[in-house]
Amino acid sequence: MMQHKTYFMTTFLLLTASIVSAAEWGDLTVQFVYDGTPPAPVKATVNKDVAYCGKFNVLDESVVVNPKNGGVANVIAHIYVGRGDSVPAVHPDYEKTAANEVKLDNKQCRFEPHVTLLRTSQTLLVGNSDEVGHNTNITALSNTASNVLVPAGGELKQKFPLAERFPMQVACNIHPWMQALVVVQEHPYMAASDADGKLTIKNLPAGKLTFQFRHERPGYLTEVTLDGKKTSWRRGRVELTIKPGQNDLGVVKLAPSVFEEK
Amino acid sequence: MGVVLAGCTPEAHFNANAVLMHKNENAAKETTEFSPQRRADIANTLVALFGTPDEPHIPAAPGIGEDDVHQVMDPRKISFAAGSVSSDEQGRARGLYREHCAHCHGVTGDGAGPTASFLNPYPRDYRMGIFKFKSTPKGQKPTHEDLKRILVNGIPGTAMPSFLVLPENEIDALVHYVRYLSVRGEVERLLIDYATYELTPQTEPSEDDPNPPPEDRLVNLEASEEDQESQAEVIRSFVSEVTQKWLDAESLATEIPAPDPDRDLAKSEAHGRELFYGPVANCIKCHGDSALGDGQTTDYDDWTKELDPANPELVAQYQKLGALKPRNIHPRNLRNGVYRGGRRPVDLYWRLKNGIDGTPMPAVLMLPENAPPGSKGLTEEDLWALIDYVRSLPYESISNPRLAQPKPNNQRERS
Ligand code: HEC
Ligand code: HEC
Repeated sequence: MMQHKTYFMTTFLLLTASIVSAAEWGDLTVQFVYDGTPPAPVKATVNKDVAYCGKFNVLDESVVVNPKNGGVANVIAHIYVGRGDSVPAVHPDYEKTAANEVKLDNKQCRFEPHVTLLRTSQTLLVGNSDEVGHNTNITALSNTASNVLVPAGGELKQKFPLAERFPMQVACNIHPWMQALVVVQEHPYMAASDADGKLTIKNLPAGKLTFQFRHERPGYLTEVTLDGKKTSWRRGRVELTIKPGQNDLGVVKLAPSVFEEK
Repeated sequence: MGVVLAGCTPEAHFNANAVLMHKNENAAKETTEFSPQRRADIANTLVALFGTPDEPHIPAAPGIGEDDVHQVMDPRKISFAAGSVSSDEQGRARGLYREHCAHCHGVTGDGAGPTASFLNPYPRDYRMGIFKFKSTPKGQKPTHEDLKRILVNGIPGTAMPSFLVLPENEIDALVHYVRYLSVRGEVERLLIDYATYELTPQTEPSEDDPNPPPEDRLVNLEASEEDQESQAEVIRSFVSEVTQKWLDAESLATEIPAPDPDRDLAKSEAHGRELFYGPVANCIKCHGDSALGDGQTTDYDDWTKELDPANPELVAQYQKLGALKPRNIHPRNLRNGVYRGGRRPVDLYWRLKNGIDGTPMPAVLMLPENAPPGSKGLTEEDLWALIDYVRSLPYESISNPRLAQPKPNNQRERS
């Protein structure tokens, strides 16, 4: 039995990150903006533990647009590593955080953060800061799925040693409005856009890299407007040349139709 | 048994997972559709790997020895269970699966046999590789013993019958056949995902050349031999990936430390009751204030979630492709004492410790060893108390005033 495990570990799992350091490094910055009047926030249907959860202004977080500047939050970006490709060189700064615990909290009857970024070497720490119990039901494609009831004040540590092609979906079956995503990659080159729609991936090895962009509602971002030009990103993928230092992709506009429910 | 049926049955075939293909068509967006060519590639690959319902084949799994593959799918047992109902020259039965199981679970194991739509819950669709009543942790396959137990005992409270009357070797063959269908179904899913997300996006076939470009083929026959071989290797690795999980499961059964035989049962039940209604175990959130299974009745199981049940338009599309009508999953009514996964304390131990795969039922949080004071979670003693209480629930008076106002009692919580 052990032999098979070893076989899989060596053949499939460890696309060993090259420790070879690249000569030069660059950061990538992008801002995602809603190309239209920002939709008004939608309240979540809070129909469980109403006495407690009803105290918070719980919103539907599947699409979050900033009313002030149209920034689209929770756009996920990461380097795309194809089957059999090796992981790009990793900047030494990332070694410090390689074995960190990354917290996904149940807080005020929502998941905090909505998008968690997790490396395969790190540990997911599921917490519950609420006064009510939550079950944290994680659906995984490559890793082992899990569904544990985390009581008020409880915590649970879990490893997800395999990269996931899609973000893992996290739900709480007790409070059906609670949804979140966990991105699992074997490299640290991933980010999620903030409340202004901005994201930065730091210390990328300079050179050509393929990035993949996605968002919870539409999935891959395939139709975007970049520098005022309509652009297609097949499967949300785009190849960019990262120069040493700052690289600003600029403002990527997303049409309202992108976010319409299918 | 032993009756040779005349060859009036049409040749059986495995149904394609058309629902997943359509779901992926929607998800991948620019892949407008699975072309007939791509569908044929997937079907042909599956036949090459697994054969047909009448002539099954066990594929090789690179990196896994043949003996180990056969531990999961023994070709002799598979062929014993496969085929149409008949007997061979020596009078041995064949076609066990189609005789006993297919009318509910379908020839393909897609849980959509002719009887399926009348049943609640629906018969298991083996193709996702998810099973509910087993000894292993969430996300792991059942062991051989787990599947055997299901066949021998059936699933009380559902249409799944007990096959206690079948001889041991037939049960054994059927267990192998369930795994065969499940491995086949999961490999099919991997192939569909691979075609959707990893092959070059499909371009529209043009007027003068209706065939899609060669890069759309599961194996690009115009690529170099080396590239073709590496594509074939990827496909073969899917078989290994799935088969390995079944092999691993055999050593993953959750061990059950025996409860203290001298414990005071009444006290243990009372403690279990506190936990059941209390904030650490939280059982009432789903099972309801009176444990009647009415706390959370709008949820779905994992098989149904795949059908985007909140979206009637998509559901209608999937139903056209053979999916059964989505239904809500209900937490068990714990007052009628029917346990689908078995009524023994050990069965309930596994249900609570590991949760029930494919359903909302979560695992309890156990206190890690040497947990710092103040940590939340259950001890082994707590877990047995919960089991004792659950087992007593059918006998507890529902009009008991204690129940009308369940009061969380935190005395026994670690604080
Ligand atoms: C009358 C219909 C019917 C027949 C016949 C039937 N089943 Fe089932 N089976 C079911 C239903 C319904 C379920 C799902 C029960 C549930 O989800 O709780 C099920 C579930 C299962 C499961 C899943 C157990 C788990 O832990 O998830 C297996 C394995 C299984 N059946 C195997 C078989 C085999 C093998 C045969 C033939 C020997 C067979 N069944 C015959 C209706 C049937
Ligand atoms: C998030 C919702 C949820 C919570 C919380 C929950 N359950 Fe369940 N439970 C379910 C569902 C749904 C089922 C039915 C699963 C199925 O299809 O077999 C179930 C089934 C069961 C069963 C039936 C097992 C069998 O073999 O038939 C038992 C016993 C049970 N739960 C006990 C508990 C206990 C004890 C707790 C608290 C520690 C608990 N549940 C917490 C949703 C939940």
